This record gives sequence, structure tokens and C-alpha cells, in this order.
Amino acid sequence: MIAQDAPSLEPRHDFRYAFSAIDDATFDSDLRPLLPIAATMLKDPSVILLQNQLLLEPSFTLRYHSRWSLASSAVGVTETFHGLSAADFNPPMNDPAVVTALDAALEPYTGTHTQFRVKETYAGLSAGDFDFMLGRRIVRWGTGYAFSPAGVLDPPRNPTNPTDRLNLNQGRDMAKLDYVRGPHAFSLVWSTSALAPTGSNLRDTTAFRYNILVHGFDTSLIVGNDRGGDAFGGLTFTRVIGQAWELHGEAAWREHEAILLGGKYTTTSGVSFIGEFYTPPNIPYYRDMTIAPTAGRQNYGFIYAGKSRLRELPGWKQWDLSVEIVDNLNDRSYTGILDANRRLGNHFSSYLHLEVPHGSRASDFGATPYSVATSIGVRFQL
Amino acid sequence: MSNINCVLRTFLLVLLIGLLLTCVLVCRAATPDAEALLKHSDSYRNGWPSYVLRVKITHFESGKPDEDKLYEVSQKGTEKTYVEFLSPREKGQHLLMLGDDMWVYLPDTSRPIRITPLERLNGDASNGDVARTNFAIDYSAVYLRSEKLGNQNCYVLDLTAKRKGSTYQRVLYWLRVEDARPVRAEFYLTSGKHIKSASFDEYVSVGGTAQLRRWTLYDEIRHNSRSVLEYSGIAPRELPDKLFYQGRTDRF
Repeated sequence: MIAQDAPSLEPRHDFRYAFSAIDDATFDSDLRPLLPIAATMLKDPSVILLQNQLLLEPSFTLRYHSRWSLASSAVGVTETFHGLSAADFNPPMNDPAVVTALDAALEPYTGTHTQFRVKETYAGLSAGDFDFMLGRRIVRWGTGYAFSPAGVLDPPRNPTNPTDRLNLNQGRDMAKLDYVRGPHAFSLVWSTSALAPTGSNLRDTTAFRYNILVHGFDTSLIVGNDRGGDAFGGLTFTRVIGQAWELHGEAAWREHEAILLGGKYTTTSGVSFIGEFYTPPNIPYYRDMTIAPTAGRQNYGFIYAGKSRLRELPGWKQWDLSVEIVDNLNDRSYTGILDANRRLGNHFSSYLHLEVPHGSRASDFGATPYSVATSIGVRFQL
Repeated sequence: MSNINCVLRTFLLVLLIGLLLTCVLVCRAATPDAEALLKHSDSYRNGWPSYVLRVKITHFESGKPDEDKLYEVSQKGTEKTYVEFLSPREKGQHLLMLGDDMWVYLPDTSRPIRITPLERLNGDASNGDVARTNFAIDYSAVYLRSEKLGNQNCYVLDLTAKRKGSTYQRVLYWLRVEDARPVRAEFYLTSGKHIKSASFDEYVSVGGTAQLRRWTLYDEIRHNSRSVLEYSGIAPRELPDKLFYQGRTDRF
């Protein structure tokens, strides 16, 4: 025994912070701009649009006596576009209204834009078995990886970007009460849409969740109501089987049933495989904008394979690699995704993200307005 | 004369029985209670029923430091461990162990992920190397032999996993004879493959309780790789049950 230490006392304040900065450059090849008047006026259909995003993401949490907490997470984004301008189009020169409309429609795809998003800002009070929280917060009740029909308060899930790689998701504005007693946990949430971003179709939501871990099943029952909409209910579970398998699923009811079943398998060398099957009803709440209302129930498949740190390959120990495919099983369209991440010391990393949609122009993923989206970027984390 | 022979024979018989009895008792006394030793050895990594500590894991490749990570571990009893990731790249992640079940929460992933104790946390350290430190709960112990390791007399225990959440299937465990302090360990998979070894390098007195301060994990498959785990800030702490609730995915 080489030293004598006195046990440290519990601090009255606990302050944690994080900061990340990302510079992401995305090249959309063979862009087909989703402009109401422009698609047929492009001089050269093979436009490459460069979108450079600089993201600054500070976060902090302050706890006082393990009883009070205050947390905030925000992101500032500066987007700069290159590669598309009014000169790429052949508008009828004698119709100034069309030219003005084209300029207005191109505005989101040109120049520089800056925006500030509050991802989370909330205050919390912990009293005995109760936790009370007020503010904007990201809540995740779903168990699916690429899809989550029962995650009624979760941020919108994008199956081609399930991990929200640029951390742009925002929470819901809510008052939340949690009661935890032994293996039982109850949550009651009222969420308002008053401060929701313009253009979102969020409504005021009241939701309740009961969660219990029983015989290895992490199970939740969710019920709630959207103001002016229908009531909904859901059931979620996850279960680990042996040392390598994890199964998860969700069943949700909102006018009709939506089902998700999935599994994850991890090899002894650390390669993970995830597979999911998802079948949502074709109602406005679940429908993707590219799906016709008359298309009927859609079925989706999702496959992922990835490994963090390729230690077994000489010279590749700092690399993470993953591939995934998300497929609409009805119209056979799909998007293939490749992610490669390279660590550079303790604070920096660089990455490559590739999305390749495939399918007819009228199909779910074939309607994506580019042939390949290539993102490269550098990330700094503190 | 016959009386003297009779007394002598009786005396020799009693002496023989006494000698045999002594041998049996001495042999029994020389075989240590493996379960009690294992339980005592756990106290060097779990000094209090409820405590917190910080673990710095430094990974070395070919003798050069590769990367280091910092974690804060909160442990309550033998069944509940909560690990908060404090390194820049991992901030916001945390790991929860409840009995045989483990979850990792990644801020950029949509949900908590169920994981196994053997999955790697950093370098050669598995989740279970940090989160599952009560061997007496996870393994059955059998006394194997006594041997000298360096200048220390050690008991060698053969540990076999007795619950599904155990990190390894088998552990060979060297404990110092005088105080059951862990000195060395070898870890084996179900297949029998020897995947890691450990040396328990340094202890410190915390409030009068001897606690492990530094140990090293050696990769037995890739022999040029090792990870050093250094503990600091060890302190008893009252921890609420709700810290260990699997549904709380909303910690920072």
C-alpha cells in the first residue's frame, strides 16, 4: 500500500459540459431540385450541389445536491450552398413572375443561412421517488433502431439517418413527472406544440408510460392522446438472449396497427448486425411524403452491419465502419448507406457518409432528389 | 509381561489414531475456504455497500500509450452499477448493469442498447471488467493449489461462472495468502480460450480500508496490447435506487 487517501466528500454542485464542432460538406450528385417550377427548366440535369455546414454544439448539466438540475443543449448551424443558381435554369425571360418565383424557390439552396436550435433546455427536481421536469427535452420511448411507431414523443426517426449523425434533433416542450418504485416506473407527460418549429405537424400530447423489467424483458406500455387527434397505445420490449442476441419490438395502435420487430447479433470479434421489419398503416401520421395516400400499407426492411475499431486489421484500429440498407418491400426501392469514421487523437475524428438511393422516380426511396449524397467532415469534441 | 505388552499396544494404538486424526485435521485446516477467500478478495474492489469512484483506462499498443478514457462508476450492492462516460468523445454515454442485464445509452442512438459484459469498453477492458467487480456473486470458487508468485505466497482459486451475466466463463485467481488480496488473474472463454490476464499492481488505504488503485489487463491473443485501469476518488456514497432504473435514458 503506497498512499493514504481520505474518502472524497459528495460535492454540492456537479457541473458537466460538452462541446462539439462539426464541419460537414455534403455533395448531392445529379441533383433534381424539388422546386415547384424548376425541374423542367434545368439546363444541365447533372447538377452537383455542395452544402457545407458548420455546427457548434455546446451542452451543459448543472446538478445541485442531487436534487435540482438544470440542463441545456443547443446547436448553431451555418449552411453555405454552392453549385446551384438561377443561371442553371432556362426560365421564360419574358415572364418576370416566373423569374421572381424561381429566385424565391432557389433561396433555400443558395447563399449562406444561419440558424440556432435549442435541442434541450429543462429544469428538474428530484424528490424521493418522484422526478419532475419542465422544459424542452429529448425523450426516447421507442425500442426500434431505424423505426419507432410507439415512440410517441421521440424525435422524428429517419431510417437513412437513425443515429442523427449531426445531432440536429430537438426535444419536445413538456412537463414530465416520473415515479420509480423498485422495478416499476411510471411517467406522465404533457407536451405542448406552442413552441414547436414552424412547419412541424406536432400537436399537444398527453402520454403515460409504465415500464418494468421482468424476467429479462424490458417492457413498456404507452397510452396517450393528441389534442384534436386520435388516442393511441403502444407496447415495446427488448430482451437479451445468451451472450450475443438482442430482440426488440414495438406494437402501436393509432387508427390502425403498426408493428416493428427487430434483432441484433454481436459476434465475439465485435461485429454487430441489426435487422428490422416494420409495417405501418398508410395514414397521415406514419406516411412518408413520397407515398401516395392510396398506396395501402407499406412494409420496410432494415439491415445494418458495423464494427467499432477494426483492431484486427493492421493499421485500421482507429477506424469504425458500417453499412446499412433500408428497403421499401412494396415498391422494391432502397437506400444503401456507408459510414466510415477515423479517430484522430482524443478530440478529433473525420468521417465519410455515403447515401445511394435506388428505385424508380415514383418509388419511396427512388424519389430522393439525388443519385448519390457524399458527406465528408471533421468533428472536434471537448 | 503380557500386561505390559497389552498396555504398550494400547498406547501405540492410541498414539497412531491420534497421529492420523491430527494429520486429517491439519490437512483440513491447510485447505483454505475458497468461497470465503473470494468474498474477502472482493472487498478490495468493493469497500462499501454503496460507493463511487473514477476509472481511467489507458490503452497501450506495443508499449506506447494509444488512448485513454475516463469513467465515473456508481455501485450499489452487488447487482447495480451505473457507469458515466466522461471522455470528450464519449460524453453523454452511460452504461447500466442490473443483475445479469446491461444497457449502454448512446446519445446519438435512438434507444438504450442491451449489451453483454464481454463487449469491449475500451482497449482490453470489457464492460464487465469495470461494472462487475463482485466475483463471489458471479463465480463458484474451488481451491486449486498454493504457489509463490514473485516474492508473494498465493492461493490459486479456480472460478467458474455461476450466472449468465458473468463476464468470463472461467477465471484462475491468485490471492495473497496473508490477506486474500488479488495478485493475478487469468480469464477464459466458454471455448476454453485464454483471452486475458490481469495483474493487480497497486493498493491504497481509503479511510482505513485497503482498496485496489491500479491493475493491468493483458490481451493474450494480441500480445502487444495492454490496458491500465487506475481508480481515484473512491468514496462511500448514498445512491438512490432510481439512479439504476433502466428506463431513464435521459441522463446527460
